[in-house]
Amino acid sequence: MTTRTVEFELSTPGVDAAGRDIRVPLGVPGREVEDFPSEHVLINIGPQHPATHGVLRLVIELDGETVVRCIPHIGYLHSGFEKLAEYRHYNQIIPLTDRTDYLAPMSNNVCLALAVEKLMDIEITERCQVLRVIACEMSRIISHIVWLGTTGIDLGAFTPFLWLFHQRELIYDLQESWTGARLTTSLTRVGGMMADVPDGWEDGLRTFCQGFPKVLQEVDTMFTNNAIWCGRNQGVGVISQADAINGSLSGPLLRSTGVDYDVRKDRPYLGYETYDFDVPVGEHGDNYDRYLVRLEEMFQSTRILEQALDRLAGLRDAPMNVADARVILPPKSRAMSDMESMIHHFKQVMEGIHPPAGEAYLGIENPKGELGYYFVSDGTAKPVRWRIRPPSFVNLSALPQMCEGALLSDVIATNASVDIVMGEIDR
Amino acid sequence: MAIGVKVMQRPGREASYMRATLKGMALTFRHLFRRKVTMQYPEERSTETWTLSPRWRGTHRMLTDEQGRSKCVACGLCPQICPANCIKLVPGEDEEGNRYPLIYEIDEFRCVFCGYCQEVCPEEAIHVGVHYENAEYERGRFVYDLERLSAQTHPVSSLWDPTDPRGE
Ligand code: SF4
Ligand code: SF4
Repeated sequence: MTTRTVEFELSTPGVDAAGRDIRVPLGVPGREVEDFPSEHVLINIGPQHPATHGVLRLVIELDGETVVRCIPHIGYLHSGFEKLAEYRHYNQIIPLTDRTDYLAPMSNNVCLALAVEKLMDIEITERCQVLRVIACEMSRIISHIVWLGTTGIDLGAFTPFLWLFHQRELIYDLQESWTGARLTTSLTRVGGMMADVPDGWEDGLRTFCQGFPKVLQEVDTMFTNNAIWCGRNQGVGVISQADAINGSLSGPLLRSTGVDYDVRKDRPYLGYETYDFDVPVGEHGDNYDRYLVRLEEMFQSTRILEQALDRLAGLRDAPMNVADARVILPPKSRAMSDMESMIHHFKQVMEGIHPPAGEAYLGIENPKGELGYYFVSDGTAKPVRWRIRPPSFVNLSALPQMCEGALLSDVIATNASVDIVMGEIDR
Repeated sequence: MAIGVKVMQRPGREASYMRATLKGMALTFRHLFRRKVTMQYPEERSTETWTLSPRWRGTHRMLTDEQGRSKCVACGLCPQICPANCIKLVPGEDEEGNRYPLIYEIDEFRCVFCGYCQEVCPEEAIHVGVHYENAEYERGRFVYDLERLSAQTHPVSSLWDPTDPRGE
């Protein structure tokens, strides 16, 4: 293979400052691109490969079976969410957030509402806080379920996938009876929620919380001591603590290296500091520790859910939405009968909510890491800029480092254990 | 109440091929005798443990009054709030000065089924409904006009409805 082919393969089209077409070389910046030795092979995994978990393309340079270089190509799922939001009222952005991290839609909704509330300095009600905690922890469980199930499949274990996806269905059913949709939940509104949980819904979640740990125990039986699972995961995809911090990683990927950073613990929101739970951390920073951390997080989420359900029972008749006419629509029955509420309803819908000029950043602990929404407002009803800090995007940048020097089959295991979701990376 | 940190220890025991495989097989075998959870979808549309939620946000339906006219007063709130810009509304006015929609169309292809149109409608006219099977042979058939929206018969979502007080 000649050098020309390599340059073509490892670059991407772009424009320079003067607007001319150029090819931008890919790879780790600051590192010299060595000559491509003739015995090396370039292969392409994805974008339509089942093991890349979405439309991710990995260009891999191989020396025999050893990975010399791994370059992720992204952008196949770009939907322009950030730009779309600049033409929408704050509440109209909520359906967009369903579709960024589509494996945990409810916690994205919560993050958006919290960010706008921070911008407007709104204090939400206690019942709303508890409901949002429930939403976040349900999302954490289903997201980790998808991760554990698909990772199992990548490494050849199909059975736990079926058991876990049954549990995921149960959460989806609960999600459906709460929000009216299984995936595109659009659960929150600025200052409150779209809807309260229906009567008797709590019992369904309680039953789930009782049954779910048993299924996790079964998965634990299947995986934790299994020699194949250990062999494919222990010591594979190692990243050091310093590299993880330098790479700005977050979530289970960072915690597997032993850093106990969890937004719920270090910058609590939604009253997380009043719940009783543990933040699991690993020691080695390899795939196996990420598995242990995520498995434990599911147990801990179940614990949080149980505590939240107890609190919810005590707040049965407490108000859910803030009593702030700037952000909350009047109840439907009032808007239909009383003139003043009707005018308020019209004004609210036509003009949207107006946060003061300024900016706000809010990060929450999403299943995949720290999700941050940053808003810049000029005082009008639409944001000037909405920026997402997607945990998967940042975490994916560590993949080349974790793969290089390993075997080709380890790339699949490592990529699975990073737990990416492309909707959020390309957004 | 406290948030602790828990260091995950690796299992001390040696990982095993035979023991783990046998244990796994025994567990899988026990699962064979559990109740089946798969739903045979086209034949079976609901089971004793699951039916479509009454809050489901699906295909739209326009409610009508006793004379069969749509309840919509062409106020313009739903085209304004729709985040997908899929509602087309041309307002008209009759001799008595009542406003009504000359054209009211929803493009179900663009729609994201967020339900905002129902949330804002002050007349409880447009609704999202408890229905999800809407395959068609032609693209054009996905633009539902007023007549088609009014002719839908499926139940409407109980969100934002007085029948479901917890749904606001
Ligand atoms: S459900 Fe949402 S997207 Fe669909 S028509 Fe109504 S407002 Fe528009
Ligand atoms: S909000 Fe209701 S009344 Fe107003 S235009 Fe839409 S359907 Fe008609």
